[in-house]
Amino acid sequence: MSVRFEQVTKTFNGSAVVDRLDLAVDDCELVVLLGPSGCGKTTTLRMLAGLEEATSGDIFIGDERVNDVPTRFRDVAMVFQNYALYPHMTIAENIGYPLRVKKIPGEETNQRVKRVAEMLEIGGLLKRRPRELSGGERQRVALARAIVREPRVYLMDEPLSNLDAKLRVYMRGELKRLQRELGTTTVYVTHDQAEAMTLAHRVAVMRAGKLQQFDTPLNIYNRPANRFVAEFVGSPSMNFIEGRIDRSAKMFVGDGLAYRLEETQLARLNALERVTLGIRPEHIEVSTTEQEGWLKASVYVSELMGNETFVFLRLGDQRIVARAGADFRADIETPVWARIDVDKSNFFDAQSGEAIR
Amino acid sequence: MSKKQRKHERRERLAQLAKYFVLAISLFVAVAPVYWMLTISLKSEVDQFATPPKWFGFDPTLAHYSDAFVSRSFGKYLITSATVAVLSTLCAVLLGTLAAYGLARFRLRGSLDRRLSLWILSTRMFPPIVTAVPLFLLMRDLRLVNTIPALVIVYTALNLPFVVWMMRGFFKELPRELEEAAMVDGDSRLGALVRVILPLVTPGLAATAVFCLIVSWNEFLLALVLTQTDAAMTLPVGIAGRVTQYEIKWGVMSAAGVVAMIPILVFAMAVQRYLVRGLSLGAVKG
Repeated sequence: MSVRFEQVTKTFNGSAVVDRLDLAVDDCELVVLLGPSGCGKTTTLRMLAGLEEATSGDIFIGDERVNDVPTRFRDVAMVFQNYALYPHMTIAENIGYPLRVKKIPGEETNQRVKRVAEMLEIGGLLKRRPRELSGGERQRVALARAIVREPRVYLMDEPLSNLDAKLRVYMRGELKRLQRELGTTTVYVTHDQAEAMTLAHRVAVMRAGKLQQFDTPLNIYNRPANRFVAEFVGSPSMNFIEGRIDRSAKMFVGDGLAYRLEETQLARLNALERVTLGIRPEHIEVSTTEQEGWLKASVYVSELMGNETFVFLRLGDQRIVARAGADFRADIETPVWARIDVDKSNFFDAQSGEAIR
Repeated sequence: MSKKQRKHERRERLAQLAKYFVLAISLFVAVAPVYWMLTISLKSEVDQFATPPKWFGFDPTLAHYSDAFVSRSFGKYLITSATVAVLSTLCAVLLGTLAAYGLARFRLRGSLDRRLSLWILSTRMFPPIVTAVPLFLLMRDLRLVNTIPALVIVYTALNLPFVVWMMRGFFKELPRELEEAAMVDGDSRLGALVRVILPLVTPGLAATAVFCLIVSWNEFLLALVLTQTDAAMTLPVGIAGRVTQYEIKWGVMSAAGVVAMIPILVFAMAVQRYLVRGLSLGAVKG
């Protein structure tokens, strides 16, 4: 079932938490709402669930406008950050609750609960109570309670953020498989860009109530719409170098570096004077020996990750980070040479922060 | 064993002794009057006034009990008291719980929810005697003086602020997501309240109900003003009525007192577990 937001605004005490949001989620799609806390992503999800009322605009599930439909008739299932399991009920009762409310016969309820529990590998826990379960198990119960109903849309509000790092990565994969198998439209809220990248068909990046970019994970990563998106997605974060365009020399001139631009790039930058160069750490090559035409820099600090090394460089007054191989070694303050892959770089308007394409 | 250790042990034992001593005194202060009442209710009138007082070793008699509950109308008072206490508790808990839920969960314009809560509490801040005369006039105009409904209404009003404040505290402690989950799962708000929220505040609800029962059961002042005849007289008023111009019926009063005590005692013991949990539940966050 598709989901559509049309010019949806939500204000609390006069300030807009969600500002004229337009978003269309296709049937069977998993869309991640990504953004820092307070960006309006959870509010958006709650409006879709009917737990918050939209101040203006229209929300559709399928072709039905649901603004005035009470939560319980919207036929959506939600997984909460703290799971919100009913503490006084057994796991079986928890999972079966949505069916009992719908007055589905006990025999059928039992069968469906059992089937879903087995699917999520919690079949052995049905007689226990939530407080006897570990975080990961509770997480599965919350999922089972959502799945058992076969709703029109799944809503997930940071469902993995209460799990430890290892379990989170594991459950992330499980969730992805589950969603692809069930093929149910899902709106997923998170502030974790790794979750967004790995789970989503498309990612909607939000900031201060406004949608910044709505695109596939790869496009979000490679072609961010503005500086905010570029900075928010990717770890370590994208490097930004302020500079200007010297048209006569066909050069980008930044602090401590200058390099030649190709005609096509120059054309894109049209009349702009001041621009910001954005470059991902993996598009900066570092060498401890001098290379012809590379930029001279010094090592501020280098962090060994085991499989790779993050090298923080001082380039003029700038501090930038490069991603180097696992065997890269350099002491603090030693001179190194760096090459920026200009083809992979992004340019942003220095004033507005919008990407230049 | 070293000297130091022995000294330490002696001190420990002393501390234990002191603890039990204090406990014993408290227990005596609490229990002695009750024991005295119990013995008086079982003593003949001669034994009641014996000097030195007979703490033990008297011939027990049930004469006062039969006097109170067979010859006199204490049985009727007992039934009235029970009816009034149970009905008013039910009303107060039902209305108060719903009000408390509303005040705990919904934000009203201009923080009216907070102000309303304070107004409700403020009705408990003046002495009840202040309302006695207005209540009497009101009940007289409604032709409810000397009736059970009058007492039920008044006790419900008396208990309502307490119920609202207790239950509001319990509700506030529960995460909102529980009801939200229930509503997303297809339940109505009332359904979520009944199926999800209320089972979780049962200890608090039980504690609150017991308090209401005790207050209604023991209430004397308003019952005295609002009832004059056996038609709707409660036990406390009935007992006090045995202090007459010519004699004080100690035996009858004590017998009735013992009987009046029993239901509360039984009830409190039955819900003791909940009582402690319920009270401390609200203590952390209010």
